[in-house]
Amino acid sequence: MPGTTGPPVSRRPDDLAVLRVTQLGKRYGSEGPAALSGVSFDVAEGELLAVVGPSGCGKTTLLRLLCGLTPPSDGAVLVNGRPVLGPPRELALVFQDYSRSLFPWLSVLRNVMFPLRGVGLSKAERIVRAEAALVEMGLHGVARKYPWELSGGMQQRVALARAIVSRPEILLLDEPFASVDALTRAELQDVLLRVQSESGGRAVTIVHVTHDIDEAVYLADRVLILSPAPGRLVRSIEVGLARPRAQTATRSSARFLAVRNEIHAVIAAGQE
Amino acid sequence: MATLVSRVGRRLLGVLVFAAALGIWEVWARSEGLFLVPPVSAVAERAWQVWPTADFLLPVAASLKRLAAGFAIGAGIGVTVGLVMGSSRRTRRTLEPLMEFSRAIPPVAIVPAAIVVLGLGDAMRIAVIAFAVCFPVLVNTIEGVRAVSPEARDTASLLHVGSMGRTFRIYLPAALPSIVAGLRIAISIGLLMVVISEFLGEGDGLGRYILFQQSQFNIPEMYGGILFLGLLGYVLNSLFLVAEHRVLAWHYGAAGVQTP
Repeated sequence: MPGTTGPPVSRRPDDLAVLRVTQLGKRYGSEGPAALSGVSFDVAEGELLAVVGPSGCGKTTLLRLLCGLTPPSDGAVLVNGRPVLGPPRELALVFQDYSRSLFPWLSVLRNVMFPLRGVGLSKAERIVRAEAALVEMGLHGVARKYPWELSGGMQQRVALARAIVSRPEILLLDEPFASVDALTRAELQDVLLRVQSESGGRAVTIVHVTHDIDEAVYLADRVLILSPAPGRLVRSIEVGLARPRAQTATRSSARFLAVRNEIHAVIAAGQE
Repeated sequence: MATLVSRVGRRLLGVLVFAAALGIWEVWARSEGLFLVPPVSAVAERAWQVWPTADFLLPVAASLKRLAAGFAIGAGIGVTVGLVMGSSRRTRRTLEPLMEFSRAIPPVAIVPAAIVVLGLGDAMRIAVIAFAVCFPVLVNTIEGVRAVSPEARDTASLLHVGSMGRTFRIYLPAALPSIVAGLRIAISIGLLMVVISEFLGEGDGLGRYILFQQSQFNIPEMYGGILFLGLLGYVLNSLFLVAEHRVLAWHYGAAGVQTP
């Protein structure tokens, strides 16, 4: 797929947005109802942005537009100033359903090596990179196993390892922790925070779509709230919680509760 | 423990029913004393003498050769066309009516046409075997590729996997369990076509052997040939199952299916 991004529209570094969304809209079919309408926002380098909203607010549509899997009906998505015309190479996506996105016929190691094909690395280098990604996700001694031999939480760690192995600038997450139990979810949230902070001097920009408001506040620098269909951007809230964050301390802080209550109030007001 | 006992019990029951069927044949044939239906012991005795000879093994080899050639061609076409039809909606829409019509024809019915076009030799036999084998493989390949998860397709797009890589690295392995199921159905249909095609024209093969023994009133030899076909089908199916569980260990593991 050549030319997955067009020529630059604006130049960095005066423009710090790694990801810019302008007047983005999507309707399925020419006369169909709009799934998303007039959404604009910027994501700065290294920012962790969460997107929340009631079901049917077009969260998944937004993600598909961001990663170039679906073309927009209106507006544009810019990655590093270039319009997205197809999946950009600097971007990786983690799906909610790890059991369907990992390849069951490949071992864990080969799953993680998969994105490194055709990038000019020798097999030995690809193995080293994949093993490093697994270790970074806290996975030890599972490289030779098959994904289905692992627990759900571990499979999602493998999916995360596959996403970061190509060292993407932007990581998109589609409700990545919705299919695991609460304890595992907390673990995975902290794994994600580690990815953001310890990514070898590079700042990974993360867009995290979720319906779990507490999770959004715990992880994000900023939370975007979408309205029900057609999805519109109703509010952007700075979280302003100190980093590093910790499950108990952060979640029991006054600021955490204030932000989470504000988001609940905005969503409730939108549904009346 | 209880399930193990019941499993062993069921298997034992299967063996007992099989033995009982042979026993009924034996007793009935003995009591009637018919020339045309010899007791199974007489058939087995004759088989013991005839099966290790060239008179019997050469036709078996000829039939297996035809089955292998026809199966390879038919399965090759089925998998190739199936991968294309499964991954391209346009191709599928274009070829589907032709496929549905062709596979509705009982494959036996094309034998006369194949004789007209290809004569009475091996070309005709291999062609009709391939024709019959092709369809179950084709249909199962298409279904297997269509069942590839949207997440796997999206992953391929995001990673810029080209159409060749997609076909061989994602669609083919993902569809393999379904393809293998199709191949196993195709084996028995292939065997059927081997026998039918050998009934016609001159030549060798198990089908011809059975027909020849019948015409010579070598009745125990004729039954021996028939029983050998049953045995052959059973062995081929079992070999296939063993290979299947080796190649598809990941599939049975992922689906949580116990290997039989």
